[in-house]
Order: sequence, then structure tokens, then C-alpha cells
Amino acid sequence: MDFTDPALRIVPPVSLVDVASYLPGEPVGTEYFTQFSRSERMAKNVMFRAPKGRHHIGRDTRVHEMAEQAIAPLIERHGAQEISNIDILITHTQLPENPVLGAGGEVARRLNMNPRFVFDVHNGGCAAFVHMMWLARTIMLTTDARTALIVATQNCAGPVFTQTEIRKLAQAPVPGDGCGVGFLVKNNSAPILDIECRTYPEFAGDMEFSTGSDRKYWEPGEGQGCVSFTESKVAKVFARGNRLVPEVAHEVCKRIGVKSSDIDTLVTNQPNRLFLRNWHDALELPAERHPDTFDQCGNLFAAGIPVTLDTENQAGRLRNGSVVLMSAFAHAGDFAGAAAVRWGAAR
Amino acid sequence: MTTSALPALSDIPEGVVPGLLRIENSDREATTPVILEMLRSVYPHDQIFGDYCPVQAYIEAPPRELYEYLADTRSLEEWTYSLRGFTETAEPGLWESYDRLGPNTRIYTRTVANPDAMTVDYHCAWDQSKHLWMIYLMRVVDAQVVFDKPGSVVLWTNCHHPFYDRNPYQDSAPEGRKVWVGDFWEMFSAGHQLEMDNLKAIAEYRAAHGLPLTPDWMK
Repeated sequence: MDFTDPALRIVPPVSLVDVASYLPGEPVGTEYFTQFSRSERMAKNVMFRAPKGRHHIGRDTRVHEMAEQAIAPLIERHGAQEISNIDILITHTQLPENPVLGAGGEVARRLNMNPRFVFDVHNGGCAAFVHMMWLARTIMLTTDARTALIVATQNCAGPVFTQTEIRKLAQAPVPGDGCGVGFLVKNNSAPILDIECRTYPEFAGDMEFSTGSDRKYWEPGEGQGCVSFTESKVAKVFARGNRLVPEVAHEVCKRIGVKSSDIDTLVTNQPNRLFLRNWHDALELPAERHPDTFDQCGNLFAAGIPVTLDTENQAGRLRNGSVVLMSAFAHAGDFAGAAAVRWGAAR
Repeated sequence: MTTSALPALSDIPEGVVPGLLRIENSDREATTPVILEMLRSVYPHDQIFGDYCPVQAYIEAPPRELYEYLADTRSLEEWTYSLRGFTETAEPGLWESYDRLGPNTRIYTRTVANPDAMTVDYHCAWDQSKHLWMIYLMRVVDAQVVFDKPGSVVLWTNCHHPFYDRNPYQDSAPEGRKVWVGDFWEMFSAGHQLEMDNLKAIAEYRAAHGLPLTPDWMK
């Protein structure tokens, strides 16, 4: 037997067969933030750069509640049994409610699932959807697991960015809350063509969680928690983002043999309008082939990709058979991922 | 010693110079977004190479020797892609050679070098020597100063002279030649990089093998 025969190494395809999402509550307008701006000039700046609206969860909204809402359409379309029989459940939560444990167990319990593989992953950041696809596919290709549910929850906009000190900051109006999910099945209906995930340890630690005071977040006392970069790092992080997202996207394009300019739809994370412009410019794509939900939802962090995919899919703008490329970078640039899918979830 | 602020811009009424962004009228909070807006993932070729063609390289060879090599017009016989057959004309310092990019095309070169600044400017022209309008501006920098390591940094800039678009000396062009040097302007960035890579390869080979950067035949 010739073990170098490529035919022997053909792996079964894994498909992203469906996406769904949930946006909590009524949109919060930008005037909510401008009233707290430190100056007239900053208020104008906020009006200009911030999204028009964003969704906020209340302080008592739980991750599993958002996940349940996001998964509900999948249950409707694929049947309660298919979803409760899921083999793999992977969750990414921007702001874990419990610093000790993730949301996976509780999401599974609430949805009457009994998955064999449950993972709460943290390091994928804004590229977590791609990261989770990669992980789910790897498990499916190496075990007899057949289905996976991946859940990206962004839940820090309402709870963190409306705190009395934080809401005055220029970046406060940018994040929005939401949850996006993907349903993966080991079949050929909407195959993942390729995935590239890269970790850049040299950029780890450039994003900080601070309480605005000396206290650690688990200690009692003054200060309001917030994630941020030091001001001098802003340009560095911006330049990294400019580079990383096209870099991993180009790598996937190269491997699947498609020119970036021939990609039908590009969906990225959406930290701000400048990144969106720079990324489709770099991939030589017109803006209309790079849809986003920035103006309605703000920066959705990891949920940005699935929420935008679901929005576009529901609007009938994702054609079955077209190539959809996802690409994103995380935190201050310590992780980036891209994935190409032959779309097959059009409804 | 100056103890008061310098009277900067005191000759001009405040606010009349358009587009001036200084810390006095635009603090960092206001200026940072302006600068971030200017940063891109990619830049249009024309924006980078439209009116200027900058090329630069780090070369692992001693800067003074590299400067002396470049300051000799005949070095062009080695590291350029197409200039060949250098002979000095009757006019001292003015060299004639062929640019083999065009058939029967003569190119004239006068090298203006400054050993203190280590600048080497090649003043050239196709076909005629009375107006040397193609100017290649080169500068050798000690890499120790800019990169904290031994070697040289070579900066090379070319400016888009209007004659690249319109040859005013049609009369001196060889008969039947269809190309004009300016037709290649869009390729200059890549073409000059290729020549810079030649320069780097030659100089680094000689330096690594203990050969003088300026070969005996040029002495």
C-alpha cells in the first residue's frame, strides 16, 4: 500500500451549515453618550466616529440567556433534537460572568444538551468565531463527532462601557452587545475550504484590563473596570490590525487558489470604520462586498462576524456556492484568524 | 540662553496659513484621529511613486568605502541594469555610455559627490549632454548611527521631471527609436529596487570576501 497516495489522506469536509444571532433590546442612540462627553469638541467627535446605534444588555442579563436567544432560530430550522444532540459545544464570552468558570456548562444545561466536548475558549478575542471553527473542525476530523455549536458572546458594552466614569471616554460609544452562533456539521453542504489561525506572542499583554485604580479586579474598593491600550500603543495596535487581517486573509486565499479580489463576500471584525476601509482596500474588494453591522451594532468583538453573516444571510445577500471569507484579529494583535467557506446556508 | 518662547510664525497673522496643524491649534487628542485616518493597509502606487521614486536598502559593507565606490561614475557599469560602455568625454567629469533599454541610446552622466555628506548625485540625460535633467539623488548613511549596527544605509530618490513625460530633445534621439526613458517611469520603483539589490549583492560579496569595494579596474 502506498501511504503517500494523496487519495488516502482525503479528510471528510466540515461545513458551516447555519448561522444565527441575537441582539438584545432596543438600540441605544449615540446621544446617550454625548451627554456625558467631557467637552463640546469631544461630543462632535463622538457623533462623527461612533456608530449611530448599539445594543446594550442590562446588568442582570446572563450569557446563557443571550446564547439561548441566538440558538433559538437554529432549533427552529434544524429541530430541537439535532441541536440537543450536539457533539461539541464551544463558547467564547467577552466578559465572563464568573471569573472561575465559563458559560459552556450552563449553556448546555439550559438547552438540554449533553455534548461530549465542551470548551470555553478565551484567546481568540475578536477572531473567536474563526478560532472556534478551527477547533470544532479539528475535533470533528479526529473523532467521530458529527456536529458542533460555536457561540460567540459580546456582553461588555452595557455592563462595562456605561459605568459612570467609563461612559465619558471617547471609546465608550463604540462597543455594542450581541451574540452570534454557528452550526457545524461533518458533511459537504457548505464546506470550510481552509482556515488559518496564528498566535503572535510578541504582541500579547499589550491590551490591559484596568480598574482605573490600584486595586486588582477581584479586590474590593474604588475604580471602574475597563479594557484599554495605553495611548502611545494606539497607533501600534492600529498598524498591526491594518496588517494582520489582510495577511491571514491572503494566506487562506493563496491556499484555496482564489484571488482576494474574487472573494464574493468578506466579513471581518469591526472595531471601527477605518479598519473596515483599510481591510477591503488591502484585499482589493469594493466596500459593498465587505458588509458590516458597525453603524447599527457598533464593535461586536467576537460576535461581529456571525452577527454580520446572519444579517446578510437573512437579507438574501449570501448566495449558495459563493466564497465567503472571514478574517479578524484579536486584542492588541496577539491572535489573528481567517476562514473561507463555500456558502451553503442561504435560506 | 533663550528664556522666552521663540517668535515662531510672528510674521504671519494667526490662522491664515491653511492646513497648518501645530500643537497650539490642534492638541494630541484632536490630532491622533487625523493621523490614524492617514494610516492605511495599502497605499495606491501613484501616491507612493507618483512624483518621487524613493528606494532604500541596508548594505553590509563599510559606508565610507561604499560612498567612494558610488562616487566613481564607472560603478554604474556594474550595478545598474542597463548602463554600459562608460568612456569619459573631452569635457572632464562628463561620461558617455549606452543605456541598453533603448537601441543605440547614448546616456551622459556627471557625478556630483560630497564626501562630507556622503551624497552622490548622478546628473544624466539620454541622447544629449547639454542639459542633464535626469537626477538620481543618493545618500550613504553609516548604519551604526541609524540602525546601531555596522554597515551602510543607502537612500536613493528620483524626482519626476516633466521631461520624463515629454522629450524636448527629439532632434538628438537616434532615428527609429520608439521608446523614451520616461515611458518606464511606472516601473522605476521596481526597476530601481532591482538595481539597489544588485548594488547590495555586489558590495556585500566584496566586503564578505575581503575584496576592496572599488575594484582594481576602476582605479
